[in-house]
Amino acid sequence: MSRILDHPVFGKIHERELVSFQFDEKTYQAYKDETIAAALLANGVRKLRVHEESGTPRGIYCNIGHCMECRVTVNGQANTRACLTVVEQGMIVESGKQLPNIIKRMVEQR
Amino acid sequence: MTNIENMIICRCEEVTYGQLLSTANEHKCSARELKLRTRAGMGFCGGRTCRVSIDKMIEHVKPNITPGDIPLKYQPPVRPVTFGTVGEIK
Repeated sequence: MSRILDHPVFGKIHERELVSFQFDEKTYQAYKDETIAAALLANGVRKLRVHEESGTPRGIYCNIGHCMECRVTVNGQANTRACLTVVEQGMIVESGKQLPNIIKRMVEQR
Repeated sequence: MTNIENMIICRCEEVTYGQLLSTANEHKCSARELKLRTRAGMGFCGGRTCRVSIDKMIEHVKPNITPGDIPLKYQPPVRPVTFGTVGEIK
């Protein structure tokens, strides 16, 4: 867990309850009331999804909820913003996968 | 920035500055036409990241830009919603 424990401006992080959640079949620990994006970043996971078309890795960009780059699937609900959703105990998070674009491929082959 | 050509302007659709510039110069198009031709601004974020830069680029390409030229439209839904939230019958 790599976190700034003693920030010059915000001060020390006081000890908080740990919550465990699952991201892509791996279990991670997170502080209570922390967003999924922050928890994954603390655990060293920066790649939250891949671009649906080209597959390039994507992760946190604006971290305030309007760029939609951090969208993940939480408990089966797709396209939830990881930077706004708070981690709960036993949450199942899946990263975004590359999707096949059949029609575009057909058009290209013609 | 080594090469400004492949600087990504529209993150959601991965449209680079070079593509936008060449399309704008080739077709002398307005912001809307550029959006239609390159899909820049049609991505998941609804143009939040790249709307301003596409509008600005047009002024650079077409110097005699009339203020009346229509900027990029805000396409509903303003925020992505699932069909469930819109039409689910509980």
